[in-house]
Amino acid sequence: MAMLSFAGMLRRSLVHRRARSVSALVAMTVSAGVATALLTLYADLDAKLHKEFRSFGANVVITAAVNAPLRADALDRVQAAAGADALAAEFAYAVATTDTGTPVVVAGTDFLAVRRLDSWWQVDAWPDAAVGNAALLGQRAAQFVGNEHAVALTYAGRAVTLAGAGRVKTGSDEDSRIYMPLAAFTAWTGAGPSVIELQVPGGAKRVEATMAKLQEAMPEVQVQPVRQLVEGESKIVDRTHALMYGAVLLIALTVAVSVLATLSASVLERRRDFALMKALGGSQGHLMGMFLLEALVLAVAGVAAGFVVGSAAAWAISEGNFHTATLPHLSVLPMVLLLNVAIAALAALLPVRVLRGLQPAALLKGE
Amino acid sequence: MFFRLLMESFRRQRRRKMLAGIAILLGTTAVTAMLALATTIGDRIHKELAVYGANIVVYPKADLLDVKVGGVDVKPASGGAYLKESDLQKLRGIFWANNILGVSPELRVNQQAFPAGVGAPSVPATVVGLWFDHDFGGMKTGAAELHPSWKLEGSWPSLAGDASSWQVAVGEAFAKRLNLHVGSTFELPKDSQLANGGLVEAQVTGIVSTGDDLDSAILVPLTVAQAMANKPDAISRVEISARTKPEDAFARKDPDSLSPNDHEIWYCRPYANSIAYQIREAIPGAQAEQVRRVEQSEGNVLKRISGLMWLISAAALLAAGFAVSAAMATAILERRGEIGLMRSLGASKGAIAFLFYAETGLLAVFAGTIGYLLGSGLAAWLGARIFAGDGGAAEAVLIPVLLPVVVALALVVAIAGSTPSIRAALRMEPSAILREDG
Repeated sequence: MAMLSFAGMLRRSLVHRRARSVSALVAMTVSAGVATALLTLYADLDAKLHKEFRSFGANVVITAAVNAPLRADALDRVQAAAGADALAAEFAYAVATTDTGTPVVVAGTDFLAVRRLDSWWQVDAWPDAAVGNAALLGQRAAQFVGNEHAVALTYAGRAVTLAGAGRVKTGSDEDSRIYMPLAAFTAWTGAGPSVIELQVPGGAKRVEATMAKLQEAMPEVQVQPVRQLVEGESKIVDRTHALMYGAVLLIALTVAVSVLATLSASVLERRRDFALMKALGGSQGHLMGMFLLEALVLAVAGVAAGFVVGSAAAWAISEGNFHTATLPHLSVLPMVLLLNVAIAALAALLPVRVLRGLQPAALLKGE
Repeated sequence: MFFRLLMESFRRQRRRKMLAGIAILLGTTAVTAMLALATTIGDRIHKELAVYGANIVVYPKADLLDVKVGGVDVKPASGGAYLKESDLQKLRGIFWANNILGVSPELRVNQQAFPAGVGAPSVPATVVGLWFDHDFGGMKTGAAELHPSWKLEGSWPSLAGDASSWQVAVGEAFAKRLNLHVGSTFELPKDSQLANGGLVEAQVTGIVSTGDDLDSAILVPLTVAQAMANKPDAISRVEISARTKPEDAFARKDPDSLSPNDHEIWYCRPYANSIAYQIREAIPGAQAEQVRRVEQSEGNVLKRISGLMWLISAAALLAAGFAVSAAMATAILERRGEIGLMRSLGASKGAIAFLFYAETGLLAVFAGTIGYLLGSGLAAWLGARIFAGDGGAAEAVLIPVLLPVVVALALVVAIAGSTPSIRAALRMEPSAILREDG
């Protein structure tokens, strides 16, 4: 009987004071929505940032020892040690002479792998992988070549003619080189790849672990990090992470306090209800339970709506900023629920202290 | 009378005013802090990204190709072209001179080094002349500033000392090869022609680990390298770190194909390409290029992080706006009794609305200003804590422009939040309100 009247009172209270209930519900939805959005973004932040850093290219360089070229299966072994999501490209180098008599570094490589690894290269036209003697000319190297479409090179007395497909511009060493397919390079010079550039995604820890693994698997080669990249990435990801953490706390606090203020004001406003119930014989515990239950129902409803709204906001923000979607994280739900319930409980219980001191008769009289 | 009502309202209803005031205060604090961080995040992250090194390189246009394999430069020694060190002063006259954060020229000389001890065979070594803590128009700059990832044991060489002894820093690998320590000495030829100079004592002041081909080089002050190569004022390459705007489609256009108007706009934007263009104009015979690996990727990262901060700020703005207007609505709703009383005493709707708006406005301005100050302090504190140890990152984040913006926002949000409640209260019959409220 007590439960039934409790539920009835709750329903009446929520339905009857619809405007008040809706505004409280909206407040709880906003707080849950903000918390969901920020926590979802926060959970995904590191992965997203590390992904951005992939555009810096290789962060580990594997070099063969002098006079000992890499073994034929080196690339496969590197890929196996570094994991499937790492990008690797092998390079072979030789100094050849152009038809204008200038020495130039010619590099043999796999264009498809380079294109994925070095996304910062500005290339006007990538060579067709099917063409065996296609070449990519560094923009400075191109000036020392007689005919860009039929590049005549000599190495150790052996001549070769490459079909230049386009130019590459990077602002560093690549500008002075000529790139060609590895198979054609080996056939021409007899030299195999001597360098593997590897990009290990993730932070410094993963890079270090991978390097240790590589060194163990291939003790004959030199494994070196591109130090500034590895250091810089960890530093910036850590800083952004901390910044985000500060922002999340700040915003959550703001919203929580404002919602708390709004809700407890609306509880305070109901002093007359409180007084009436007390005059009719309700116990202190009963009344507090009543207020609490009402607040909790609103809080849970707010979490349900806020989770949807917040996940949508997180999705929009990461789609807009990182161009990749962030899917809703169910794992943030307990945290959001806890936060909202805590706010609601506080909002219901804080004014009770004020109310307890009041005499029902005086209140009802309007004093 | 009006002022008395206003003042008494603040004096007597402290609890209610406090609630609304705290909501506004917190809202403006959060928004100010986020906006202050978002506006300065670009510079801060840029400083962090400086670890990647220069984003623009300048080399002589007429230079031969670099023939570098595995960190060894086999470029023919003769016939190379050089830039002039004295021309670097012209960098300070270009349009975006203030965006240049660091300059590091270098001159490479292929040399023989003679280990200490009689009869030890000489070893080939690359001597690299660099700036160390060079005073470039009031800016301390040089190789170390442009390469924060270099690790130095000891100190950088300086020109101090007489002509019979040079201070040098050596790369890690070179030091190991010759078994050198800080304080040890070896000998270097005074001149590129061995015959007419003899040897000079080189004193190791520092051992540096760079992670690239400089690990096996000898680093000396630029003037020493110039003297050694017999090429006063010559430099073979300059690295420049500049604060740039991330590249967009417009930045990629060829400036010479643009209309005069567009050319002007292109020229006056701090793209890496425009700064490189201005450097080419300023230094005769120079070719300046953006280092795409650094510049493109930096731009990318910078754009994402500051974009994230702006979006989070927008979210903060939205949430704070919502919270403030909800708190204001509640505050007004609570005071319907007052409105009813004033109406029944004969106050016009306009006068009542004006009184309430004046109260709201006063509260918003007051709490908003305090919130602005608190938020600025918070941003400075957060920024200093997160970006600590970068030197100069802990500057105060008091951005005056934000004050009117934040206060105006607080005003708009508070008034917008209270309007529906005021209107609803004014629409009701005074007697009904009074009876209901008892």
